[in-house]
Amino acid sequence: MPDTFYYVLSWFLGIGSFVLLMLLIGHIFIALFLIIPTWRICVRAGFAGAWSLLHLIPMIGSFIVMAILAFGDWPNGEATPDSG
Amino acid sequence: MGTGIAALLGLVGLSSAFALVALVLAAWMAWRIVEKAGLPGWTGLGAVLLTLTAVGTIVPLVLLWIFAFMRWPRDAAAVTRAAAAPAGSGPAAGTARAPAAPSALPPPPKALADARGWTLTGKLADGAAVSLSFDASSSAWMLTGAPAAQPTDLSVPDPSVGWPHARLMVAGARLGLADLGSAGGTLIDGARLLPEHGPRDITSVRTIRLGGVELTLSRL
Repeated sequence: MPDTFYYVLSWFLGIGSFVLLMLLIGHIFIALFLIIPTWRICVRAGFAGAWSLLHLIPMIGSFIVMAILAFGDWPNGEATPDSG
Repeated sequence: MGTGIAALLGLVGLSSAFALVALVLAAWMAWRIVEKAGLPGWTGLGAVLLTLTAVGTIVPLVLLWIFAFMRWPRDAAAVTRAAAAPAGSGPAAGTARAPAAPSALPPPPKALADARGWTLTGKLADGAAVSLSFDASSSAWMLTGAPAAQPTDLSVPDPSVGWPHARLMVAGARLGLADLGSAGGTLIDGARLLPEHGPRDITSVRTIRLGGVELTLSRL
């Protein structure tokens, strides 16, 4: 019994680790597609581009970056609504 | 069994509620962000709402890239404003909202107007010398690789210089430079100037580089 148990356990651990690794790689890959344009947007707005690295935080990271850009005063200036 | 189904439905309902709140929040923030860049707010809202459609997140992702690298109306308005600004006017005038300036400081002491001009000197790739002089008689001067067609054109006849390449703005004793997106690029004392940076004050700058031509800035 112990042999079978450890055999099955090792399988589950192996598969679990693989799935976690794939999820991590997938998350970073997708985050890169968000980080690059967001970095440029942050720089053009006058913020440090590193704020875009918040995309690496799962679930809420993107919202934090958007909130900074949406509700913070842009150091490089903003367009007023009447400037089109 | 019934409890399990109820728990499952509750979980789905809760997730949907969170998703709805997140969607509304993202749409609102996207509206504000694109408005600050000078675009209509509904474009940001629409880009976020596209995630509800069959195209999923691909199109909003593409739109995010386009938004990041496109020319923003905010920058175009800043360049136009700087070019049209009369001598002596500050950069805060116009439509774009500049960072708040301290209001408690007393006005600067009045001084006699500095009527001296500027000169840009350097060497072209073929070894020929170039020397360009300009002053406050015009508020805007165009640096171009083409032969001078207007009195305010400053010709730098080099293949690496764009047609036009950059705009010089004179406001009293201050001098500004805006890159117009030429492929050769513009450097101010070695620092890259991009079109989206808008006009930059180069009054105390020593050298500017247009494409492959380095020009030394000095007062006449």
